[in-house]
Order: sequence, then structure tokens, then C-alpha cells
Amino acid sequence: MAEAIQKKLKAEVEKYAQMQKDVSKSMSARQKLETQLTENNIVKEELDLLDSTNTVYKLIGPVLVKQDLDEAKATVTKRLEYINGEIQRYETVLKDMEKKSEQHREVLSSLQQEFQRAQGLAVGKV
Amino acid sequence: MAEKGKMNIERLGGVARLREENEKVEHTRSSGQVDKQKVSGDYEALNKRLKTLPDQLSYDIMVPFGPLAFIPGKLVHTNEVTALLGDNWFAKCSAKQAQKVVDHRMKYVKHELEDLSKTMKNFEARVGLAKDLETISSSKGDYVDIREDTGNSDTPVTKGKQRIAHKPNSMPKMDAVLDLKEENEGESGDGGSRNGTLTEEELLSDNADMNGEDTSSMSSEEEKEGDASPPVNGLKPGWTARPHSKAPPSADRKAGEDDEEEQEEGSCLPTIFFSHTIEPKKVRINTGKNTMLKFSERKEQKEHSKRKKKNGHSHHELHKITTPVDIYRLFVDVKNGEPVPRKSILKSRSRENSVCSDTSESSAADFEERRVIGRSFSHDEATHSDTSDGITEEDSPTAVPLHPASRFEAFSGTVVEKDPMPSAIPHLTIALPALPTIPERKQEEVASDVPPPHQAPKRVSKFKAARLQQV
Repeated sequence: MAEAIQKKLKAEVEKYAQMQKDVSKSMSARQKLETQLTENNIVKEELDLLDSTNTVYKLIGPVLVKQDLDEAKATVTKRLEYINGEIQRYETVLKDMEKKSEQHREVLSSLQQEFQRAQGLAVGKV
Repeated sequence: MAEKGKMNIERLGGVARLREENEKVEHTRSSGQVDKQKVSGDYEALNKRLKTLPDQLSYDIMVPFGPLAFIPGKLVHTNEVTALLGDNWFAKCSAKQAQKVVDHRMKYVKHELEDLSKTMKNFEARVGLAKDLETISSSKGDYVDIREDTGNSDTPVTKGKQRIAHKPNSMPKMDAVLDLKEENEGESGDGGSRNGTLTEEELLSDNADMNGEDTSSMSSEEEKEGDASPPVNGLKPGWTARPHSKAPPSADRKAGEDDEEEQEEGSCLPTIFFSHTIEPKKVRINTGKNTMLKFSERKEQKEHSKRKKKNGHSHHELHKITTPVDIYRLFVDVKNGEPVPRKSILKSRSRENSVCSDTSESSAADFEERRVIGRSFSHDEATHSDTSDGITEEDSPTAVPLHPASRFEAFSGTVVEKDPMPSAIPHLTIALPALPTIPERKQEEVASDVPPPHQAPKRVSKFKAARLQQV
């Protein structure tokens, strides 16, 4: 009896660990997005400061590709929006994961209790 | 004492870990700060370079050639700079424009640096607290953490349960009686000491002593006793006295009655003593349309002393009402020499032996009582609603619209004093938000409200019944 519970417990613990990893992954992805967001904001400001006299390049791999200023501005704006959307998405995902991990935690704790009880019983019997 | 030591050790461990964590965070923060400062230094250098670069048309320089060599060369187009705007975007611009870009970046970095320093400051406060905690827990500091020893729980006196829900017909356990704490005050402490310290013997023995002083809890009410004290006073929670009843042993009274507690620390720690005068309480409970139940401590004490001579301890405890349990204990029939709980304490004959006396509606004195605020024992709010318009009338010197202990515990909790003085004394009634205020009733209403008790609805409140019997 106790062993069965132990096995169950282990399985649950693994699942929970997995969930935690997922959560942390999403967290880090979200953080990356945040930094990108700030960067793009800076780029946007700079581009606004520039006038059309100077050329704008984009680094694609090892190549600096010439870009039009307006095009560049548009691209950067679009990228900003995209990043925002991604952040939102990640937030919802994160919330869901949090909820799930909470549930898991509860299950775990109840299982633990059971296990302890069973262990206590076993000890008593012995 | 060993337990205290153990606690200290645990605490120390916990605090040490806290310190570690704090230090870690400090490190990261400070390293972050250092980085930022380096960055800003770099930007400064860059700024200088950009300034001086266009001074000359071209420079002779040694150009790095692969990882191991340099080659002499010339730096041309000194005014043209390709600046990184961020996120793999470049812009070709003049040196001056590049400078502007650099300035922007500098501003940003400085901003971040400031934020970091702010958080560092906040964090330092927390670190300081952790340090203090450590010194406290290791008892090296100047001030000592006032802590109550809960190690006495090994002596089984009262169970640790706060309340015992008894079936109505079952005899409540005696040991659940919390004999007003006086005795217990020795053990009581702030933190909710669940001392099982008091043995039943102690309780019982102390009963005799404490008979005179009715529990300090009552003391809170004493102030309101009897005079037309301002309602505010009355509002002061006499019922705070009661929370103790929940905690079986020990001295309860902690949180609620701040000033009225007597606390005693462990012998080695400084002790705080409070004392208060104790007066017997009077409680009036409005138990319905026409009924008002008077619960008087004096009476109770009299009966106590009477019965004590007869029955010894048990009755004494019985009449100390601190929990709802006690109510049931009160209303018992003595059959075959043993108290048998009544099926319903609402029945009229339940009130025969009770310490509550009913006041008849017809008496003029009662009229004022009815003004007293108290939740009707039967929660008969409908009756109050009629009269609720008359709130502003203040003929009667009702003291405080404390609602009876029924809300929080048994009788003894609240004091609703009725001033026996004539109604000429104006008096303020305060409506407790939680209570339906019992407004002043007009005489006519009172008159109309007085049906013969026997014609009351089938469910006769015990108070009424008692009154009937007494009348």
C-alpha cells in the first residue's frame, strides 16, 4: 500500500517538475521578448531622429543590407507590434501554467499526506 | 526551556539562510551596477572619440590584420559613421548625429542605473531587518523578542480545540469550560497561547478564588455598567472579552482585550501586568417583541454562592458562560440527581433555574429596556423594523447599544445597561453597523406590542417563558 502510494507520489513529483520547467521556459522567453521590446523602442526613436540624408542598413547575417528609411521605420513598427502580441500570448500561457502547477501542488500534498499516513500505519503494524 | 532553545536554533537557521539569500541578491545587484557603470564609461569614451574624429580628414593608423598582426593604414571619411541603432539596424550618419545617438544611449543607461540603486536601497532596508532578526534570535541584541512558551501543551488539560460542537441534547463536557481566565492569566501570552497548562484541578480550585472577581473579561464591560455612559463607551467591545472563551485553556484574552489582559511572560522575561476592576455585569437581551431578558451577574453570583454550597464546583463552572456550550449547561433538568440537558433551551421551563430573569413588558421600566439595543435572542428583526423609524427619539437613558453576547458568545458577553434612572435623561444611541438598532419605541407602540405572553407564537422564547413563570 505504501509502495503504491510512493510510486504515485514519484510520478506526480516528476510531472510537477516538468511543469515547473515549462513555466520557467516561458518565463525566460517572455523576458527575452521584453528586452527586444525595449530595444525596438530605442531603434524607433533613433530612426525618427534621422532624416533621409543618411542610409539605413540592416544586418542580415554577415551582410549589411541597405534599407530605405521609411521602410525601416515601418518594419520596426511592425516588429514592435508583433513583439507585444507575443508577450500577451506568453502571459496567458504563463497564467495557465501557474494554475495547473497549483493544482498539481495540491494533488502532490494530498498524496504526500496519504503516503505519510500509510507509512505510519505500516510502522504501526510492524 | 529546551524548547525555547530549539526554537532559537531553528530561527537562527532560518535567519541565516535569509541572510545568505540577501547577500546573494546584493551581489547580483551590485554586479549589475558595476556593469552598467562600465557601460556608461565606455560611452563616455566613445563620445570623446566621436568629437575628435572629424578633426582631421584622415588618420594614419595601425589596422588590425587578423588576430595576430597589424598593418599600417589610413582612416578616411572620418565624418561618416555607421551607427548601430539596436536590433541589427544600422544607420550611416555623421559624427555629430552619431554623437546624438550615443547621448541617448547614455541617458538610458543612466536611467537604469538609478533604478538599480533605488532597488538596492530598498533592499538594504530588508537586509538590515534580517540582521536585526538574527541578533534577536540569538539573544545577543538589546531587545528581546517577547515570546510565549507554548511548551506546556504536554499537560493535558483542555483539548486544543477551540470549540466543541455539542449536540443539543448531549451534556457538554465539563473540561471545556474555560473558567475565566484569571487563573490562566499566568500562562496567557500574546500570541494565542494554547496552553494546555491549566489542569482541571487548577481551574476548579481557582474557581473558588475567582468567584469574586468575575473574569477580567467582564471587566471590560464593567465600565459600561450602570450609568448612562456614553454609547461610545458601550460600544467598546465588551464582547472582546469573549474571544478567550474560544481558546479553551489559557488565557485567552489576548488580542481582543488589549488593556484588559493580564499577561505574564516566562519568569525570566519582563512581565506586564494589567489589573482592572471587576464589577458584576448586567446584561439585557432583547429576546423578541415583548421580551427582555435580564441577565445579571450579581444574580448569577448569588446563585453561584448558593449552589456552590450545595453542589460544589460544577455549578460554579456551569454558570460561567463563556461559550455557547455553557448555555446548554445552564439549561438542564436535574433528574435523578444528575443534570440532564433539556431538549430545547427555548422552552419556557428552561428558564426556571436560569440566572436570567425576564422583564415583563408591561412595566414601565421595561419600556426603556426595549430601547436597548441588542440583537433579539430569536433574531426577531422584524419587530425592530417597525420601530426603526423612531430611532431618533431618545427618551430613555439606554446606555449602550451593545448587542448581547449572543452574537459572540453566551450571555455573559455583553453588557447592555439599562439605566434605572427616569427617562428624562437624554441619551444617545449609537447604531452599530452590525446590529439592527433598536430604536426608541413610542409608548403607543409599546403598548400595542404587549400581547399576553401566552398568545405568543408557538415557539416561545425561553426568556419569555421564564418571564411568564416569574410573572
